[in-house]
Amino acid sequence: MTPHSKPLLGRISGWIAAGALTAASMAASGQAFAQGPAQVPAAPAQPNAPAVPQRVAPALRFVVVLDAAHGGDDGGGQVGGSVAEKTVTLELSVRLRSLLAARGFWVVTTREGNVNLDSDARAQIANHATFGAGDAACLSLHASEAGTGVHIFVSSLEPAAAPRFLAWKTAQSAYVSRSLKLAGTVNSALEQSSSADGGDANAAPIPATLARASLPGLDSMTCPALAIEMAPLRDADRKIVTDVTDSDYQAKVAQALAAALLEWRSDAAPDSRPDSRVGAQP
Amino acid sequence: MIPRYQKIVFVVLLVVSIAMGAVLVRLRERAHERLLKGEDLAPTVAPEVAPEVQATLMVANDVDGTLVAEARSLPLPVDAEARARALLGQLLEVYAGPGATHPVPGVPRAVLQVFLLPAQAADGKADRQAGGQLAVVDLAGAFADGHPSGILTETLTVESICGTLHANLPRVAQVRFLVDGKARATLAGHADLTRTYLTADQDVAGASPGTGAKP
Repeated sequence: MTPHSKPLLGRISGWIAAGALTAASMAASGQAFAQGPAQVPAAPAQPNAPAVPQRVAPALRFVVVLDAAHGGDDGGGQVGGSVAEKTVTLELSVRLRSLLAARGFWVVTTREGNVNLDSDARAQIANHATFGAGDAACLSLHASEAGTGVHIFVSSLEPAAAPRFLAWKTAQSAYVSRSLKLAGTVNSALEQSSSADGGDANAAPIPATLARASLPGLDSMTCPALAIEMAPLRDADRKIVTDVTDSDYQAKVAQALAAALLEWRSDAAPDSRPDSRVGAQP
Repeated sequence: MIPRYQKIVFVVLLVVSIAMGAVLVRLRERAHERLLKGEDLAPTVAPEVAPEVQATLMVANDVDGTLVAEARSLPLPVDAEARARALLGQLLEVYAGPGATHPVPGVPRAVLQVFLLPAQAADGKADRQAGGQLAVVDLAGAFADGHPSGILTETLTVESICGTLHANLPRVAQVRFLVDGKARATLAGHADLTRTYLTADQDVAGASPGTGAKP
């Protein structure tokens, strides 16, 4: 899709996402919610949450946006033989949401069921949810048969200072430096994953691969954002030992991601504001 | 009553019209054949008579997500666009082979064409002074449709194409992709094909994927 063919509302809300949200953009994002994606405020400190979910997190909350990739007609790739990628990403999103909720995070999910969502709508939800939040992290969850372990992707956009208005397709450029730091935190958590779950201390940690990629949706997010791609665990001969459909493996990855976000939150520096320095490097 | 001379004129005009129509159809067929012949002339595999030259293929590895430079001696055409197409054809044949580190199903003529144009400046206009080139790679729809889905595998394919082009044609600074001659949102659901990929980061062999991108 070319930039000119994007829905006007999508572009407008993206441009103003990091600036001043107007009633028009709120309505645009609200429409996106109404079309399918579920927003799940996971706040254990508020057991009597209102029946109508809040659209914007209270200020100074740490907001985590979980984007289970694909859904609806878009099944994504085939993993584990014949399982659609959209199913695995939703399972991982649900697991991670529960873990994060138990740790006091304000969690927003782009979808809770098998619904169609394009990349612009996902970015709209993330940008709306993290606007005005104290701290934030956005994770786009994927699964694949290629490679091994967990692949951590940061947008390949060059870091840039945040202008007054962000271009929709390159909004992430103002957050790339912070996204790279978040990727480092997730990588560290995965390296410690074998002991973190309280299981076999001798078990090898989940292998992680750090890389840059250009992904629709991720490049439009105005928060520290990563794409997390689960891949099978393989032996030395590259044969699959544990598939991505394995529930224990999914739980282990979810625990490592939750531990990483805990560390990210506890870090004094992080906040959801754009990078302060032009061309800042991690 | 219609005069005789008018009947004759009418018949003559009718015959001429039919004849002209037949000629037009034939000319159209000839032009089409000529176009197809021109396409076939652009080789996917370099002709054996061409002298072998040293070429570098940036081969992707799914296991560690890296690109590894592999030097090969290949017979390549002299023309830069045909050479680029032949190089990418060789690269994708490596991926289609058994035991590939980055398995991608092979299809005949996976790379339809490569166009080399002046690189674009930030404002989108041709930047002739810089001397860089923009390579527009037209992939076959069958190749994109059969490509495995996943961020890593799709990104590695894109990066290895960019890296191979830059390693052998150093003036190529930017790469754009088409599929069957048209813009396509993603390769197989993940990697963005609407962007211009910058090849500057491909100078370091064995580096992880991470080519810069601009809208």
